[in-house]
Amino acid sequence: MCGILAVLGCSDDSQAKRVRVLELSRRLKHRGPDWSGLYQHGDCFLAHQRLAIIDPSSGDQPLFNEDKKIVVTVNGEIYNHELLRNRLPNHKFQTGSDCDVIAHLYEEYGEDFVEMLDGMFSLVLLDTRDNSFIVARDAIGITSLYIGWGLDGSTWISSELKGLNDDCEHFEAFPPGQLYSSKAGGMRRWYNPPWFSEAIPSTPYDPLVLRRAFENAVIKRLMTDVPFGVLLSGGLDSSLVASVTSRYFASTKAAKLWGTQLHSFCVGLEGSPDLKAAKEVADYLGTIHHEFHFTVQDGIDAIEDVIYHIETYDVTTIRASTPMFLMSRKIKSLGVKMVISGEGSDEIFGGYLYFHKAPNKEEFHRETCRKIKALHQYDCLRANKATSAWGLEARVPFLDKEFINVAMDIEPEWKMIKPDQGRIEKWVLRKAFDDEEKPYLPKHILYRQKEQFSDGVGYSWIDGLKAHAAENVTDKMMLNASHIFPHNTPTTKEAYYYRMIFERFFPQNSARLTVPGGASVACSTAKAVEWDSAWSNNLDPSGRAALGVHVQAYEPELPAAAAGKVPTKIINKMPRMVEISAAELTIRS
Amino acid sequence: MCGILAVLGCVDNSHAKRSRIIELSRRLRHRGPDWSGIHCHEDCYLAHQRLAIVDPTSGDQPLYNEDKTIIVTVNGEIYNHEELRGKLKSHQFRTGSDCEVIAHLYEEYGEDFVDMLDGMFSFVLLDTRDKSFIAARDPIGITPLYMGWGLDGSIWFASEMKALSDDCERFMSFLPGHIYSSKCGALRRWYNPPWYSENIPSAPYDPLVLREAFEKAVVKRLMTDVPFGVLLSGGLDSSLVAAVASRHLAEVKSARQWGSKLHTFCIGLKGSPDLKAAREVADYLGTLHHELHFTVQEGIDAIEEVIYHIETYDVTTVRASTPMFLMSRKIKSLGVKMVLSGEGSDEIFGGYLYFHKAPNKEEFHQETCRKIKALHLYDCLRANKSTSAWGVEARVPFLDKEFINVAMNIDPEWKMVRPDLCRIEKWILRNAFDDDKNPYLPKHILYRQKEQFSDGVGYSWIDGLKDHANEHVSDAMLMNASFIYPENTPTTKEAYYYRTIFERFFPKNAARSTVPGGPSVACSTAKAVEWDAAWSKNPDPSGRAALGVHAAAYDEKVASLPAVNNSSSPNGLPQKKLQEGIVEATATSV
Repeated sequence: MCGILAVLGCSDDSQAKRVRVLELSRRLKHRGPDWSGLYQHGDCFLAHQRLAIIDPSSGDQPLFNEDKKIVVTVNGEIYNHELLRNRLPNHKFQTGSDCDVIAHLYEEYGEDFVEMLDGMFSLVLLDTRDNSFIVARDAIGITSLYIGWGLDGSTWISSELKGLNDDCEHFEAFPPGQLYSSKAGGMRRWYNPPWFSEAIPSTPYDPLVLRRAFENAVIKRLMTDVPFGVLLSGGLDSSLVASVTSRYFASTKAAKLWGTQLHSFCVGLEGSPDLKAAKEVADYLGTIHHEFHFTVQDGIDAIEDVIYHIETYDVTTIRASTPMFLMSRKIKSLGVKMVISGEGSDEIFGGYLYFHKAPNKEEFHRETCRKIKALHQYDCLRANKATSAWGLEARVPFLDKEFINVAMDIEPEWKMIKPDQGRIEKWVLRKAFDDEEKPYLPKHILYRQKEQFSDGVGYSWIDGLKAHAAENVTDKMMLNASHIFPHNTPTTKEAYYYRMIFERFFPQNSARLTVPGGASVACSTAKAVEWDSAWSNNLDPSGRAALGVHVQAYEPELPAAAAGKVPTKIINKMPRMVEISAAELTIRS
Repeated sequence: MCGILAVLGCVDNSHAKRSRIIELSRRLRHRGPDWSGIHCHEDCYLAHQRLAIVDPTSGDQPLYNEDKTIIVTVNGEIYNHEELRGKLKSHQFRTGSDCEVIAHLYEEYGEDFVDMLDGMFSFVLLDTRDKSFIAARDPIGITPLYMGWGLDGSIWFASEMKALSDDCERFMSFLPGHIYSSKCGALRRWYNPPWYSENIPSAPYDPLVLREAFEKAVVKRLMTDVPFGVLLSGGLDSSLVAAVASRHLAEVKSARQWGSKLHTFCIGLKGSPDLKAAREVADYLGTLHHELHFTVQEGIDAIEEVIYHIETYDVTTVRASTPMFLMSRKIKSLGVKMVLSGEGSDEIFGGYLYFHKAPNKEEFHQETCRKIKALHLYDCLRANKSTSAWGVEARVPFLDKEFINVAMNIDPEWKMVRPDLCRIEKWILRNAFDDDKNPYLPKHILYRQKEQFSDGVGYSWIDGLKDHANEHVSDAMLMNASFIYPENTPTTKEAYYYRTIFERFFPKNAARSTVPGGPSVACSTAKAVEWDAAWSKNPDPSGRAALGVHAAAYDEKVASLPAVNNSSSPNGLPQKKLQEGIVEATATSV
């Protein structure tokens, strides 16, 4: 990832303004530690912090067209850039960067070029000929982007909230799949796939078509000039990513440069379910597997930093971001700059446990649509910001434009969970990779039900967080919560605790409005809470709350203490010893 | 490098305090991006941000002795750690980290172990058995360290000022070669080499002994488990480092892991003298050479960040740090975590141009001693902080303890610049590596006079800085400078400009007192300004001001002219000024 910041039309071209923009741009330095650039044209500034993945030696930004009249600052990867270059035979490219095509495409096709891009991106393009500009964000919102307005009439664009929140009167998350054009003075949605209308599709399920679409999505994402790896939690999604990657890895440029064995990474508390599951998959695939262990105390110590980076107070997102944030630092320290990750599958296929209770295929399908549309506020935001905090880029093949089209065109009857026919959640995906001759994964892994992310890193993680929050938030504070936080009022001590930290970093009213709220059970949308009347009484947003649907359901746990030893507990009749000690972390490679 | 922060006896072990210390420790994260750790014992906190160079997989800090009663947080490299481990047979080590010996040495030898360490280091050690602690810094101050006091009775230590300046009532830079012990409540100097007294030594010059000492110093510093390189400006010092490193690379563990070719790095404005000189040396040595170009505008855009990182308003240091800061970012982005660098040679051998005017060998020698003692405020600070800003570690073989002992024990008569005997500055060092059979460097490079750092990156760099400062500092502002800044009053617009930035980041009195001041010409100490009556009138601290001593001045300046005109200075570099510079530099040429 990179970090972009643009200030357009601020009626101030002074050195002081330049210094201020530089200073704000530095707040995004973690996203692009490799180099920075600032382009100034009158009272328009385009700043960039670069993470060099493609063409590290010459792709510094901002990028230009031939006569430097069109200037672009981009955060993202354009996977079809070579194809697009070929369509522009009479254009001269100054760098080998994948994002170099953008300025030239604009010259050739005007604003409509955005649809031609296959990848993840957030971009600002300034046309100095008439001082107009456009801003666009990728289809699903894999890359983060915010837009703001200053009292001086300026428009601000930034990869993260922290780049603009102190200088804008009002700001919002830039909606994914949309384009802002200064000429039109407004937004319009450029992303218009068939599924967006939420109409129920009727194409029959073809396992091989789905498999091929996913394989293509993974292969595209192997485009890199630097060392990379896969995040492997041992669940279905990340295991499929790892399996397909390892199958096509040897032919990539990166493999030739950096060795032909794939690196895989997993994080967890010592003895956690994920570590065990990931190890099994890694052994099967023969990857160089790296296990990161963290302690509950490590996680708690990182919470403030996590919230500063991911810019949300959503409870599930913070719980899941923290281990990912810690792991990203270790991954980066090993010299790896890019990872492929499994986000998006649960949304597309209805993989969350609460989907078991979907009343019919129409509800099921519409819920998947709603989930995909909200991804940019949850898992995309987490995956992007938790990794970018350490200059690591996450690529998410499940959110490939083409793949989504295929997967969301399948008649949703096939996605429904039908215990009577032996179809567990995400059965269509599992089945697509159930290849007897050349197995992608062993059957028991392919058909294994998985922990939701925050549980998988170790059950005492969430218990530890809750205990820590309970120590720092009094009952009296909770009593006043609705007065202090009238918008998205925290209903648990844990939520209150995160909210306090968020408000300290981002005190503006606009900031709290960028975070979604409302009723939810086990990551459902508010609408799906209606599926089961019992759910509205349960405030715990983790996967554990969708009770009675996990085949290996377990007994409720005793709350863990934040420090000291937690007694051995029997969970699933599997004894776990969890030690919570001072900051310590070991890596096993 | 790593970043350390310790808060001892703050009478507060609340969660809020822990959060605060974690937050402050994060201000040092650039120094150690790889991992962080904090250890809390009652109201004592030791925090660490780690750059993993030796044993990346298991050496996370803080480090402990066997029963975890002794806790250490260290920034540094202990080059003789294997030898020291050998002396600690009865001790069990948990990690492969070089710094782990410290806890065990303390157990075995008490405070006096510090002298046994060979390397660069700053550390805080907490003995939980009696809640005593010690803090120590390496002999020359290669690693930075600051010490502060809180109103609550707490004592603070931090690798950089920014971690303690907001929370301490008073603070200062921790003197190099010193140890602070809570038991006696005071600093004492543990580093007591013969040269420290500034007595004039009398050992005759032996080229081979000097060569051997330097080679050892370089080889020691090749201890690493990660990719590394050499900063190569093309001058004598960095070229010797590169020559020796490339010669011994094959014997080293890291070489086998990361390829057998040495990486070298050079930065400059396009067409600058350094780029040309470095390329020549790199070609000769056959290194994988990386040239990094920057523009004056890029440098100016970075100034604020540079000052925030290096924590000084000293003009020469800011000028020289900026290219190094930019280069470090690029080096890091290539996956290199450690570089060898040539700092210290000019101090030890009297390599600055003003040494030409040293009146006698006694003055010469004493000035070298003064310069070495002040290194921690200048070149050590620059080299350490501008690389650490991007998580790159700089190692400086010229400041090896053993090498300094050898070099500073030579009768200074040999170091004197003697045009009559064809001895230019640093002649004894050049001569030591003048090997006809197996040459380290071609003769013309070995005996080449070099630009001072800031000039070498391109003459228009300093001119660009001055122009930029002139645009932003008015005459009226400078007139009031002595009232606004009574301490270390800036005398030029450039100095004033840096100062305003520094004061914004570090507004406390204590902060400005950590920066040295006083008259100087071309990096001399205040004492040496007395060597030439004309010097006291010239406020320009760059190498160019030591007029009339650079033999090749004229040619090189002319050669750099076209490049300068093409440079992308936003101000459109004033031609007239440059011409003056040439005249200035050549008029009194020998």
